[in-house]
Amino acid sequence: MENKNLFQNLYLKQFNESNAIAYNERFVSGSSDYNFQLLDNAYRNAGRTYAKLKIAIETNSCMSEDCALELTGIKNLEESPKASLDFLSSLIAELSVTEESSFDPNNNYKYTAANSLMNGRPGFSKTDGYQAYLDLLPDGSQQIVFLGPAFETPLVINSAALNALLESDTSLVVSTPDINKDMLKLLTEVGLFAQEMISENGELASGAKITEEYVMMNTDGSFDYEIIDLGNGKGRNVLKYDLEKIEKKVTPFINAEVAGLMSSEQDVIAAWNVYISKDTSVEEDAQMAQNANAGDTSWIYELDLPLQQDKKVLFEIKYKEYFMNNYLKQFTTNQLPTVKEDAAVFDLAEAKKAKAQKFLDDNDLN
Amino acid sequence: MVPAIIGGAFSVAAGLFGSSAAKRRAAEQKRERDRLKNKLNNLENSRQEIINPYEGITNLSELATNLSSQMSNPFANLSVATSAAEMKIEEADLALANTLDTIRATGGGAGGATALAQAALKSKKGVAASIEMQEKQNEDKRAAGEQQLQDKQLAEERRMQGIAMSEGQRMQQADVAGKQFVFSQTENRQMQELDRTASLLGAANQAYAQSQSDQTGAMTGMLGSLAGIAGGL
Repeated sequence: MENKNLFQNLYLKQFNESNAIAYNERFVSGSSDYNFQLLDNAYRNAGRTYAKLKIAIETNSCMSEDCALELTGIKNLEESPKASLDFLSSLIAELSVTEESSFDPNNNYKYTAANSLMNGRPGFSKTDGYQAYLDLLPDGSQQIVFLGPAFETPLVINSAALNALLESDTSLVVSTPDINKDMLKLLTEVGLFAQEMISENGELASGAKITEEYVMMNTDGSFDYEIIDLGNGKGRNVLKYDLEKIEKKVTPFINAEVAGLMSSEQDVIAAWNVYISKDTSVEEDAQMAQNANAGDTSWIYELDLPLQQDKKVLFEIKYKEYFMNNYLKQFTTNQLPTVKEDAAVFDLAEAKKAKAQKFLDDNDLN
Repeated sequence: MVPAIIGGAFSVAAGLFGSSAAKRRAAEQKRERDRLKNKLNNLENSRQEIINPYEGITNLSELATNLSSQMSNPFANLSVATSAAEMKIEEADLALANTLDTIRATGGGAGGATALAQAALKSKKGVAASIEMQEKQNEDKRAAGEQQLQDKQLAEERRMQGIAMSEGQRMQQADVAGKQFVFSQTENRQMQELDRTASLLGAANQAYAQSQSDQTGAMTGMLGSLAGIAGGL
């Protein structure tokens, strides 16, 4: 089944980033009305309503006993301007996530459309068939309604519901964790690199090497090299690493990192969909433009939260693979010897002959 | 464009976007803080147990092997050489019988027979004395051998225990030192990571507090501008 959010979000992303609208003559020739005037419209009758309530109380002509409803209405109206600003700023903050480069297109696409409208993007004006209203509700809460071609059905967000979500550390639109930043940092924390390989800003210094504790050695204490073929009969030694020992060393630190991510399961799904599931980076996704994200292996926020244990375990396994393949591997492959004389390019045939002779010598086979 | 969408004064719309940016930062800082808290908890929970490097120390006395059971007293089973004595007695008895036959054939009297019996008795007494002397010599040799054996057994036991104890102590000390090294290295690295994460958590807390303060500032600025929109409520 096609993932509608994925399709629509990628379409909107492409639409906003492609500049295609600049080549649309109808758009260029006409004027676009972005005059949504959310606050003006919401408070147009607020003054009159406030006056009516005040008069009812002062003239003792309230509809409710002891003027309870009228007093509540006045209190709500007095508090509503601040509440409106608070609500709109929270909403804008949430919707802005849709503009992040690592945004997970499995989020509800209506929020992407709403963000385009709130930012006055070309193609999302009243002229293009869009509308937005802010309503002050009798219970003191407020709601914003978005309508238009991209929405199919109206998108309604209530201020009380949004507040409750944010108070419980839940996002309306989840921001994908910066896995690249986390993993670069993790590299310095896993204990494979000596302290002097880590710069003051906490990043690995250029040319950093894994400590010799994890390099394979021969029984006589010399390095156990792997010979790589450079072509034209030439070869070169590279270090061999004890990958099992390395994995054993890094695993507890990776587990701690994953445990940190698990503090928000939304974040875990976003990281899974954007990076971990298919071992891809945001740049690769951008190049492929379409479903290069998790695609059909995406986890769906509406269906997969709360995360089941099997998914948590799978995430941990794949997170580790992602770290090992994309970040650590570069330090365990094609590393030149630290012993200068072993680092030189040599004749491959001679090296093979010498190696065979050494084997004969070592095993008394001469 | 933005004031048209939001409505109201320009400063309100601009303030809204400023406030939302502060909120976004606050949310990110809070998320980072929660992430670091969980990470710190995990690191603390997965810290290695405090070890007792001496817990493997055992009583080494069992390592000593007692070889004394393989030793024996070579004089323990010496036999008395009785065959020669038995032969002598047999010869004496045979001579007595021959003499008695001769006395009977020659018609000898009772006096001759008595003298003969006395001679035979004397001969047997000599044999008995010889056996007794041999037994005494054997007993002396057995005692001396036993003494030697016990001395050797004791020396061997001491030697074996000495070797076993010193080697056992060496191995146990190496084991203790190894455990202490691994523990302290692991502890150092885990503590470094714990310290680093705790310090990051402190920074995230500060950043969160700052972003909340920014939010309040932005909101206060906007409220002043909003009075006009609300129609002087």
